[in-house]
Amino acid sequence: MNTISLKRAVNLMLTFSICLLTLFLTGCWDRVEINDLALVMATGLDKANDNNIELSVQLAIPKAMGGGQGMVGGHGGDKPTIVEKATGKTIFEAMSRLQEKVSRRIFWGHNEVIIIGEKLAREGIQRHIDFFTRHPSPRERSFVFVAKGKAIDTLKVIPDLERSSAEITRELANFKIGMSVTLKELVQMLIGNTRAAALPWIEVEREPENKMGLRVNGTAVFKKDKMVGRINDKVTRGVLWLRNEIKLSAVTFEPKGAEGQISFNLLRSHTELIPKIENGKWKITAKVVTEDDVVENETKLNLMNPKIVKEIEKQLEQEIDDRILMTVKLVQEEMEADIFGFADAFYRHYPDQWSKVKDQWDEKFPEVEVDIKSNAYIRRPGMSTSPQGIPENEVKGK
Amino acid sequence: MIEKGKISAQQMAIMMYPVIVGTGIISVPAVSAEYAKNDLWISPLWAALIGFVAVYIAFQLHKFYPGQTIMQYTEHIMGRTLGKILGFLYLVFYIQMNGGGIRIYAEFVTGVLLTKTPIIVVISTIVLVCAFAVRGGVEVVARVAQFFFPLYVLSMVVIIVLLFPDLNYKNIFPILADGLIPSMRGAIVPGGWFAEFILVSVLFPYLTNVEKGRKWGMISVFSVMMTFMVTNLLILFVFGETTSRYLYPLFTASRYISIADFLQKLDPVIMAMWVAGSFIKFSVVFYALVICTAQWLNLSNYRPIVFPLGFLTILFSIWGVPSKMVESEYNFIVFPVYSFFVQILIPLLLLSIAFFRRRRPALR
Repeated sequence: MNTISLKRAVNLMLTFSICLLTLFLTGCWDRVEINDLALVMATGLDKANDNNIELSVQLAIPKAMGGGQGMVGGHGGDKPTIVEKATGKTIFEAMSRLQEKVSRRIFWGHNEVIIIGEKLAREGIQRHIDFFTRHPSPRERSFVFVAKGKAIDTLKVIPDLERSSAEITRELANFKIGMSVTLKELVQMLIGNTRAAALPWIEVEREPENKMGLRVNGTAVFKKDKMVGRINDKVTRGVLWLRNEIKLSAVTFEPKGAEGQISFNLLRSHTELIPKIENGKWKITAKVVTEDDVVENETKLNLMNPKIVKEIEKQLEQEIDDRILMTVKLVQEEMEADIFGFADAFYRHYPDQWSKVKDQWDEKFPEVEVDIKSNAYIRRPGMSTSPQGIPENEVKGK
Repeated sequence: MIEKGKISAQQMAIMMYPVIVGTGIISVPAVSAEYAKNDLWISPLWAALIGFVAVYIAFQLHKFYPGQTIMQYTEHIMGRTLGKILGFLYLVFYIQMNGGGIRIYAEFVTGVLLTKTPIIVVISTIVLVCAFAVRGGVEVVARVAQFFFPLYVLSMVVIIVLLFPDLNYKNIFPILADGLIPSMRGAIVPGGWFAEFILVSVLFPYLTNVEKGRKWGMISVFSVMMTFMVTNLLILFVFGETTSRYLYPLFTASRYISIADFLQKLDPVIMAMWVAGSFIKFSVVFYALVICTAQWLNLSNYRPIVFPLGFLTILFSIWGVPSKMVESEYNFIVFPVYSFFVQILIPLLLLSIAFFRRRRPALR
């Protein structure tokens, strides 16, 4: 009797101690609970005095973020995000200064956007990019923007439609309506043959009054890692076309001999850069194949008529050619920065010749002759046949 | 024989696959990229030649001395004293190799995930788990490998499929712009890894179907080669010229995955699979080390020396390696040469001696 209970006691003790041991298996000796973290949604980098850097971060406030319902009414003043800033010699130093006034541990794992202030961009960005690829937390997927004025101002924007300005910028980048560059791609641009980089340009919108929003409005052009200029929205479209990154596009023009405009919605487009070196002349032929739908027809042309459509396709091609060529001219003459990736095209086809001009590419790039060969296909007329609201006898090409 | 277990040739192939890929996939592609630039996907082709040679040597030697491991026939070929000395060299090499491999794994885990965990914890936990597997014998190790292998391969397929939208196949051009030399230089480090295929010589005696040993060994080398080629291509397509700038390119690529804004940050999953793969690798090498040591010491049972050798392995992965930089320097500069010397040249020497002894038995 006695022995049995002793054995049982020993067994019990053993079982108990083994159960206790499992506590160590959880591995949470340096755990950080989610409510001890301050999640960085967006990062802003600005120039500060004395070669310092001003780091601003947009931190999510989980209370206000969660549950869309709670946002309405009730606690009206709740902001979903706050912006904090600090200065330091490097980003990490600034961050540790920042930590002095943020009660939770700053966590970079959810950082989606890096916004660089214009002034800093003009001084060079390479030094500041290293942190984001070296520190284990930030992701290479973060989108990078250049802000007009100070980056912190874009972070401070509290939008109406989305929860935070970080989200707006990310969504805008996903649309690919302007350039959309991730950190990984930026690093590739900086290291690449082109010696140029292009980042989307973002501006704070204050129209209409008392509303705030963000807008991707053109592209910041970099030579090496220094911003040299900005190209506007329209020119950016040409860049996207040449880089084979165009996803959304509305082309509108007035067909010859017709009154009114026709708008086309881009379905898909593919661009191929074909380099050629002939007698020392460097030439790029860009082959653009696009498919479009008609979405608006102000003219009296009947777009169900294949003959008319054929004619319009030609004009559409001309329109696209002109747009791209305008961009090429502007970038080649004013920026002299190869943001189209011509250097890569040459390097891939003519590695030997390339290595000879590698160091003088900046001088060579403006001389490259560019030829656009576009093929446009208008696939469908939309949901209407001949133009709406026009008497039958006035429709052309019936 | 001190090992009673038996495995099939197919199981052997499954065991050997993670031995190379387990740690090789973590950072070897970046080193290949440093030398081979955008030809890094060709490098595994050259490196795999070493693997094929290793399997061939091991199989031929085993044909001369059936049922014996490399430890036993080394003594037969070289004589007792010289054989013991050579055997000791092997033991030191394998402890060091396993220690170095574990260090790669531990540096990776602490570097990207458990940044504040002391590295000794990461190292000793994996060695402890491996020790349990090794004590179970060759069959246990083989079954563990069989269990994890499909998951391991699946995790890689998942990375590849999910990265598809971000691939830029043009990064591959120009192919062989500077001739074959860069890709060969890029093959030196993976070659050191492929040389580890000589470990099949420890497993051959336990095969149920030895005649298929060479075939499955070659299949294993081939699949490792394909794995490296595909992953090297993948990271080239993702990172282009910047590949060599990343310490763990494939891992960074897996962090880059983002499908529809919600299927992202998959790196913990990938990491879990890599831990499993590394675990198999260390178990197999550890097992070979234990068997060889037992045979070197003429022990009748290998189980008692598992934990002491595990302890030694831990020491070897910590001694003299203060940082990731030193670990890389050792694994990418010293190890490939060392590995080629011990795992290819010496067995080749053994094979040629064995060959001539067979040819001219009258002389003896």
